Amino acid sequence: MRAERISRWVIAIPMALLAIATIYPMVYAVNIALKDRREYVLDRLGVTTTFNIQNFVDAWTQANMGRYYLNSIIVTVASVAIILLLASMAGYAIAHLTFRGNRVMFLVILGTMMIPFQVIMVPFIKLMSDIGTINTYAGLIIAYVSQFLPFTVFFMASFYSGIPKEITEAARVDGNNLWGVWGRIMLPLGKPALLSMGILNALFCWNDILIALLVMQSPDQRTVMVGVSALRGQYPDNVPTYLAGVLLVVLPLVVVYLIFQRQITAGVTAGATKG
Amino acid sequence: MKRFVAPVAIGVGAVLALSACGGAATTPSGESAEDGTLVIWNWGNSDDAAAAYQDEVLAVFAEQHPDVEVEIVSQPFDQYYTLLGSAIEAGTGPDLALFNGGTQLKSRTDQLTPVTDELADIHDQLAGWPAFEDGGETYSAPMFLQGFPIYYNKAIFAEAGLDPENPPTTWDELADACDTIASETDVSCFALGNKEGLGIEFFLSGFGSGIFTPEEYDAWIDGERDWESEHATQVLQLWADTAEDGWYNDGANSTAMFNDSFDLFSGGQAAMVIGLSSGIAHWKQFDDFLGDDLGFMMPVTVNDGTTLALPIEGGIGYGVLNEDKLDLGVDWIKATVDRDALANYSIAGGQIVSDTTIELDTDIQSAQDIVAELPGSKPLLHTSLGGDTLDLLHRVGQQLLIGEITVEDAASQLAASEG
Repeated sequence: MRAERISRWVIAIPMALLAIATIYPMVYAVNIALKDRREYVLDRLGVTTTFNIQNFVDAWTQANMGRYYLNSIIVTVASVAIILLLASMAGYAIAHLTFRGNRVMFLVILGTMMIPFQVIMVPFIKLMSDIGTINTYAGLIIAYVSQFLPFTVFFMASFYSGIPKEITEAARVDGNNLWGVWGRIMLPLGKPALLSMGILNALFCWNDILIALLVMQSPDQRTVMVGVSALRGQYPDNVPTYLAGVLLVVLPLVVVYLIFQRQITAGVTAGATKG
Repeated sequence: MKRFVAPVAIGVGAVLALSACGGAATTPSGESAEDGTLVIWNWGNSDDAAAAYQDEVLAVFAEQHPDVEVEIVSQPFDQYYTLLGSAIEAGTGPDLALFNGGTQLKSRTDQLTPVTDELADIHDQLAGWPAFEDGGETYSAPMFLQGFPIYYNKAIFAEAGLDPENPPTTWDELADACDTIASETDVSCFALGNKEGLGIEFFLSGFGSGIFTPEEYDAWIDGERDWESEHATQVLQLWADTAEDGWYNDGANSTAMFNDSFDLFSGGQAAMVIGLSSGIAHWKQFDDFLGDDLGFMMPVTVNDGTTLALPIEGGIGYGVLNEDKLDLGVDWIKATVDRDALANYSIAGGQIVSDTTIELDTDIQSAQDIVAELPGSKPLLHTSLGGDTLDLLHRVGQQLLIGEITVEDAASQLAASEG
């Protein structure tokens, strides 16, 4: 009994320290975001006494967040929907269908994951400009889909390869064509992985700054993360307002995570093993 | 099968259609050659005063060009030059862009349109041109003067038993003062917060005129630099020694551009700081916190034969990237140095402006002291360096702080980087 209690503490203490280390930056950010600039400079680590809500108002207006939130939501929802749709189809095809070039296609998809965006950004932005998609939602959605689709395809292919082929073959015997098997069998079975990928891709799209900066150069077309990062200027002297902006931007992500945390945790390991 | 595919396809199609429509409503900034628009990139306004100044500039420009739509795009500073370079290379860059004078502008003159003749009529009115000149051509007009004055906190000097009205004038006096501050107070001698690498460029330019002879100084600015010379290595050695002697406050060896040190000085956590003259961390911002306790001091004499000078030069200015919009670009540049706009911003924002005909109307003594030193001032030493050497200087500056490399290693690396 005593040994069990000790071992519980041995685990609990490091876990508690880890939890504190994880939560501390967020608590620090909230505390600073509630200070006015004078209090921040004179007493950075102390608990706020000014509760300066105005920082959030300033961040909201200065970063044009009303408009930028809408832009981010449109782009993120559309990108994630397309990525999941295409990745689910491609994953099924790669994992379950036999066709010429299957292996090569999978390797090409793997290969594209290895190329950092910075390497291709100049020709990429030139191409986007040539096809007239700079400063359009469609342009940024195409950019996100092209960037984040390969990993999602890889993940879905890995997940679907864990589903016995007998199931899809039985569905074909029952009269389903390829689309029917994908829609009736693979799509429902892939739900945990799709949910997990949906969350991860939503995070990628929502948090991205570089691609959004390149594609959305017009002030009205920016995403919310770009709007907040532009709050800094050359020297980020008004840190409380900046952190208030950061908190406003991460809030939707925290809410989404809290709602789907069980599925996210389950989904992260969904494609890790076969069967 | 249609049951599954159709709703998804319709949904995605609807979102894409909405996306395309929404985006198409705005004029792409990449197509800035279109008549009637002038696309300008900068890194945003640091405060309300800066925003008001920009509005005044827009109004001045609009008077001349009422039909031209100006689109100002504020980019995050930490990715500004990367983004600008990529956009220019991809052909989606702006018509004009804001540049820091010195290294940042001079390393991009091949992409800028010279405006030497176009700005000749305002040349005598402004100071700080060298930071925007290269190869005999002028590429922009300085809006403000940016320098590295040394500020000190008179209250901390008094607490340590030092004379607040007579700050150190030699390196030995400065070293003694730092020893006294360390022993008599709880604060550090110099504010240096997160060691993001910029500290050494402040140190080099801030103290340079007391280390290099006038001839060496001018040669340095002209590109004749020997990092392994006695005085250049002395800069690196003093930087390392001061860190070892505990002149600076503790802080992470961060690479983020974070002006921690200025907040520490404002908050009374350090006796001195090498600050700025305009933009931020200047006399007005420090005065808000320290009031009459704010003092300004010149660089100290380190070596005989030196001539102390306030390090200051043209700070920021707009460069013309789109030759087709040269006339509009020149008018925009001239609007940014409009006398009334600069005069108003000078007081509201705490700027030392480039227009020498504007008298700085403030009772903040340190500002007056800085202005009094302008006639004998010299350009900043670090902004004459190439971009790669400046980056390397930042890195070796961090390594010297933590004792990771020797002064000799740092000097030889820097010498090699300049070929």
